[in-house]
Amino acid sequence: MNAMQSLPMLQNALTVGALLFSLGLVGILTRRNLIVMFLAAEMMLQGISVSLVAWSRHHGDWGGHVLVIFVLTVAACEAAVALVFVLQAFSRTGRLDAAAWQSLREATVGRTVDRELPAIDAVPPRFPTLTRAGVLPPPDENEPLQREHV
Amino acid sequence: MQDLSPATLLVLVPLLPLLGAILTVLLGRALGPRAHLPAMAGIAAAAAVAIALLAATARDVSPSHGPRSEPIRPVEMIATLWNWASFDSAYAPPPGSPAADLRLTPHDPAAGRDVRSFSIPVSLRLDPLTATMLTIITCVGLLVAIYSTGYMHGDPGYPRFFALVAMFVFSMSMLVAASNFLLVYVFWEAVGACSYLLIGFWFTKPEAARAAKKAFLVNRVGDFGLAIAVFLLWMSYGTLDFHDTISPQGVIMPGILGQTRLADASGYAGGVVGTAICLLLLLAACGKSAQLPLHVWLPDAMEGPTPASALIHAATMVTAGIYLIARSAPLFAVCPGALTVVSIVGATTALVAALIGTVQNDLKRVLAYSTISQLGYMFASLGTGTLLGFTAAIFHLLTHACFKALLFLGAGSVMHSMGGVIDMRKFGGLRRVMPITAATFLVGAAALAGVAPFAGFFSKDEILAALHAKGWPSAHEPHHAAAVEPHSAIVRLASFAADSRAVAPVGLDALDRPEVWRLLFWMSLVTAGLTAFYTFRAVFMTFTGPTRVPPGAHGHGGHGHESYESPPSMTLPLVILAIASAVVGWLLFSTNWLAHFLSATPSLTAPLVASTAAPHAFHIDLAIQGTLAAALGIVVAAIGHLGRRSDGPQMERFLGPLQTLFANKFYFDQIYAALVVRPLEALSLVAALVDRHLIDGAVDAVAGIPVALGEVVRRGQSGLLQRYALAGVMGVLTIVVLLAWQLRG
Repeated sequence: MNAMQSLPMLQNALTVGALLFSLGLVGILTRRNLIVMFLAAEMMLQGISVSLVAWSRHHGDWGGHVLVIFVLTVAACEAAVALVFVLQAFSRTGRLDAAAWQSLREATVGRTVDRELPAIDAVPPRFPTLTRAGVLPPPDENEPLQREHV
Repeated sequence: MQDLSPATLLVLVPLLPLLGAILTVLLGRALGPRAHLPAMAGIAAAAAVAIALLAATARDVSPSHGPRSEPIRPVEMIATLWNWASFDSAYAPPPGSPAADLRLTPHDPAAGRDVRSFSIPVSLRLDPLTATMLTIITCVGLLVAIYSTGYMHGDPGYPRFFALVAMFVFSMSMLVAASNFLLVYVFWEAVGACSYLLIGFWFTKPEAARAAKKAFLVNRVGDFGLAIAVFLLWMSYGTLDFHDTISPQGVIMPGILGQTRLADASGYAGGVVGTAICLLLLLAACGKSAQLPLHVWLPDAMEGPTPASALIHAATMVTAGIYLIARSAPLFAVCPGALTVVSIVGATTALVAALIGTVQNDLKRVLAYSTISQLGYMFASLGTGTLLGFTAAIFHLLTHACFKALLFLGAGSVMHSMGGVIDMRKFGGLRRVMPITAATFLVGAAALAGVAPFAGFFSKDEILAALHAKGWPSAHEPHHAAAVEPHSAIVRLASFAADSRAVAPVGLDALDRPEVWRLLFWMSLVTAGLTAFYTFRAVFMTFTGPTRVPPGAHGHGGHGHESYESPPSMTLPLVILAIASAVVGWLLFSTNWLAHFLSATPSLTAPLVASTAAPHAFHIDLAIQGTLAAALGIVVAAIGHLGRRSDGPQMERFLGPLQTLFANKFYFDQIYAALVVRPLEALSLVAALVDRHLIDGAVDAVAGIPVALGEVVRRGQSGLLQRYALAGVMGVLTIVVLLAWQLRG
């Protein structure tokens, strides 16, 4: 790098990185879908990467850039491992809900149960049925059975 | 054996039974039916050594003992093993106490004042009294051990019994051989512990466990008295040794019963302190020797095995109190009030126990009350304070050991054959099926009742003579005037009486009046009659009348007819003791050997005691009175019980309401329960409640604080991953905010 970047440039880049990190953090803490949680974790890593690149450009040093390459590599490996965990978790409970795993709680604390949604009618309402009128039209030989395009 | 010094032999007497006890403890299970061998070997060897020591001591005693001879030279030998405790400059005795007597001990000029060192040497002594007691203890112990091989055969606790018997012989031997009051206290406790273990031998039986506890606790009351007495002795005399010792600085420290102090009677504390010491020693003796009011443990102690009863509660342990008072004779001699109290306690106990014994139906209980009564006789004799009184008490101790052990072992023989039944109403006429036991028991009963020429007759006669001499002093003047010659001891006695410092009159001294002694004499005479009555009542109920055997009895079919006689291991000691009961009294009395031998004991050579020389005359009038009383008792017993069924109506019909009083043992147990036991139980209940609720409550409350805190924190562990992550993030945020705040301001 030949020239130091100006300070506003740094601040903007760091803000973006901070935003990405915060959103990722909030996502981990809030979302219950395991895959989305992992997605948010990846987003945190990306926020860190942006900050690293910004600092690196600011100081004119290649170190930050190199570290970002490492981070990306490690993120890929970690993604593999994490998705294996998610698959195992899904195969045991059939759900991707982080709140499904509560067995390590204290014995005196009760299971955290979602707020009950209003019950769906057990029996769907009976809609009026019309008697069939008319006759089915005869099939047209010229009309294709499949469309050529999606 | 000739090269063994007397000191070594003296140490061997307690040491060999101790080794026997240790070997029995280690090898008992392995030896199985031969578990009695180490203990019996130890006791037998100790008995042989004790007899050798007796012979050696007898040789040392000067042979002359006539009216115009020199005063008896005291015979003692001290063997010091090691110094147990020693502190220099421990005590500065107050001026005026015998410990500060400058005539006896020159004070230490280097220190500028009179200081004493505290030292307790483990030293044993050998003098005529100790030699006599050792012989009695080891020989009776040996006979009881031989008997126990038959009696305790098949008992699962066989090795434990012999270990305890050997341990007891060791403790008792050390007690009579110790030359230091603190050692006496230690072994006083030790014999109490052995007694507890032997009474509670069959501890799974609740009555036995309770009896053992009662015996130990009642003994503790006496031990308390002995402890306080030891403290007072230390304060008064500056030492606890019996014998004179030489301190490292070369200064003679006179022992309490040492020959330096004995020679000058003013070296003893009289007055209030002296009387207090004597009364506390009496309390200790009452506890150990089962005198009023601490006699309640002895009848219950019959729950233990009969050989243990014979050894401990007839022949040896209960005589420890007699030994203590006889040993402390010079201490008592300057407190005539205390001596009179001793006699009053003894005679009263003798009478009360004899009355209770007349209505007992349990053969062992009769013998237990008889023991209490005979010990009362010995105390009455000790309390006369004369040489005759002391030697008569020891003589009676010796004869009593013989015939009471015989009677107890005979009762054990009956109990063993009758399958554990000892209630006299359940069997009768046993002389036809247990001839040896019956014959020996009869000899023992005759000795106990005081029938001439058996042992008890002579010793009881001497006791009555001692009491009579105090009650009617003028009648005995002709005897004593010839025996007592004006030698230097009497001159010193006169000067001592004039020395007001040593004899400060105490209120109790007013008791020492001839009227009191006459009353005690008549009480003793009545007791002699009662003794003969209850003894022969027991004999007639058990051995005469129609032959009845309870259903659990095991007979040994032999000699052509049903025989319930005990095996030879049990009958042999009976025969030996019967021979002893028959001849030892006459032998010792006719030669006057025992009185002469005992008068060489240092305690009894004190001028106050030795000046009342033992008359050699045989008081024929007292002998007739005693024999008449005994004969009357035997005749009344014969009228009621000879030849009759033992479960039929008995003499007690004539007693009326007194029957209830005697049968309830004068309500001593009930009074103690109300006065002592119930308040203590209430107090202990309060203490238990305080301990459980207040103290434990406080501790539990303190322990509950972390638990409560934890309960609060616990609720945060929900198991939800994202909540844990949130907690971590909040922590990071807090740190970041704090850091930013620090950096700003």
